[in-house]
Amino acid sequence: MAAAAAPRTPVVAPFEVYRFDPAHDARPHYARYTLELAPHTPVLTALLKIRDEIDPSLTLRYSCRSAICGSCAMQVNSKSRLACETPIGPEIERHGRIVIEPMRNQPVLRDLVVDQSPFWARYASIRPHLVSDPSRPMPVGRENPMTPAEVDRFKETPRCIACAACYSACPAVEADPQFPGPMALAKLYRFVVDPRDGARQDRLLRIQREGLWLCLRCHLCTEACPKDVRPSERIRDLKEMAVQAVGVTEPGSRHAVAFAENIRRAGMLNEFRLARQTFGPVALLGQVGQGLRIWRKKPELMKRPHPIEGLDELRQLYDALEEPSEESR
Amino acid sequence: MKFAYYPGCVAQESGRELDLATRWVCRALDIELVPNPRFSCCGSGFVDEANETLNIALNARNLALAEAAGLDILTICSTCQGMLTLANVRWRDPAVRAKVEPALAQIHVAYRGTTKVRHLLDILVNDIGAAALQARVKRPLTGLKVGAFYGCHLLRPADELGSESAEEPQSFEALLTALGATPVLYRGRVMCCGFPIQFVKPETGSRIAGRQIADAKAHGADAMATPCPLCHISLDGYQNQAERVIGRKLSMPVFHLPQLVGLALGAEPEELGLGRHLVPTGPALAKIGTAAVV
Repeated sequence: MAAAAAPRTPVVAPFEVYRFDPAHDARPHYARYTLELAPHTPVLTALLKIRDEIDPSLTLRYSCRSAICGSCAMQVNSKSRLACETPIGPEIERHGRIVIEPMRNQPVLRDLVVDQSPFWARYASIRPHLVSDPSRPMPVGRENPMTPAEVDRFKETPRCIACAACYSACPAVEADPQFPGPMALAKLYRFVVDPRDGARQDRLLRIQREGLWLCLRCHLCTEACPKDVRPSERIRDLKEMAVQAVGVTEPGSRHAVAFAENIRRAGMLNEFRLARQTFGPVALLGQVGQGLRIWRKKPELMKRPHPIEGLDELRQLYDALEEPSEESR
Repeated sequence: MKFAYYPGCVAQESGRELDLATRWVCRALDIELVPNPRFSCCGSGFVDEANETLNIALNARNLALAEAAGLDILTICSTCQGMLTLANVRWRDPAVRAKVEPALAQIHVAYRGTTKVRHLLDILVNDIGAAALQARVKRPLTGLKVGAFYGCHLLRPADELGSESAEEPQSFEALLTALGATPVLYRGRVMCCGFPIQFVKPETGSRIAGRQIADAKAHGADAMATPCPLCHISLDGYQNQAERVIGRKLSMPVFHLPQLVGLALGAEPEELGLGRHLVPTGPALAKIGTAAVV
């Protein structure tokens, strides 16, 4: 049938590849290459063809070509992808061309190769190894087994191949050097739920101070992840575990807890009250100018919301469910 | 068409112009909005961070209220849309139901899982349809270049919440085209507005907002438009802070989605609350030959 044969028919693939050699170039430029390839050809194969047959100076990282090593993450038409598992056909269909750029949020060393040291430094900062609890020493000379149910609590995090696609896609990483990034936090989750680890409390306390709450829950990391690790969802889990285990220690946790408490009062948000609770009296002073600016146009900002009907029911729900959930204990 | 109307907190409070514009547009298009004074806040993602089970329960209660009325829910906020849909998704998990159902039973609420949650954008594009909408346009937005800004929770995670491609969504641009406007494509349209951390670390939140606004501007947008009132707070309400953090003037008018629909269908700017914005909408209105609201 024609439909089955179609993928084999070569298509014209116009590539625009980011090129930058700091030793020779004042600024980056885009080199154009046009190939004819079958639509199912991976972007990586096309780039290697360019390197081998057209321009041997094209520099890129790759290794396994099987979406296991995580080396070939780059931007394909502005999306963080593994080049080895991204076929050219759909890209050409959607965009008419294939623009290849290095990953974002990491300095470019040359062409498509970025300096990953900030990424790895953030990974190292979460202590990605078991830490023993002196009161509960780990067994020496024998295995320290986990039950299948305990292993299940890792969820999808062991699948991570550290390709940094999430790190490249993350707007919080882009805007704030304090944010550890999705991969480091997904890894942290893995150690926090590991029953063999002895530093759970300390890990949660530290990460709450070291940028956990800068996550925007935009889920761009979960969308970018080629292994469906779902970092944004594990970061959510970390936030709940931190609130339950170490409480409110900085503005992010204070905001989330104040928000929940706020809804309990009227069933609807009291915007002014929330600002007062999150900022606290001192920081709130710094917001007075901005508040007045908004209030002039939107006087409802200062009004108390009308309580919902059935508020008692809502409060009963709170009473029934405000106990820490099983995961967070 | 008849829906349980879920305006969310902000549209009933500081973002009242969104509620105003929604009611105008729905009246014009014969979409009946049935308010429910029992609806609570969706938790806005923050309650989910503090207590996931409670968040699902709050929203299951909202979903059950609509179910009891025999109506699907119409939302006008990407975040409400996301949180209510997330509750519907989580509801399919028996382990979640085992925790939430007993709590709901205490308040005599049972949810069968049948309520659909639809954002106004989805209803306009997929139920009314671009062609039908275009036929109703009295004041085409010709010449107005608009950068659509979707809001994260309308799109992602796509496998759970999204009703269209999270990376290449098209519904908002299709709507803008039907209204006669020229959609502007830019990377920031599917990015984050910075709102979730505007209270946690305002400088970072505003830097993120500023980046998306500057991106829309660099691609030629005269205005932005959003289906999310929280994005609107970040992009319009805090635009002055974004300007300060990124060190340049932006002066980007930001519309709520139904305001642009209302304008195109012939509403007067006052009827849509266009005078309530922090960044004046006048320059954008002038492009379509409409006087500014002071």
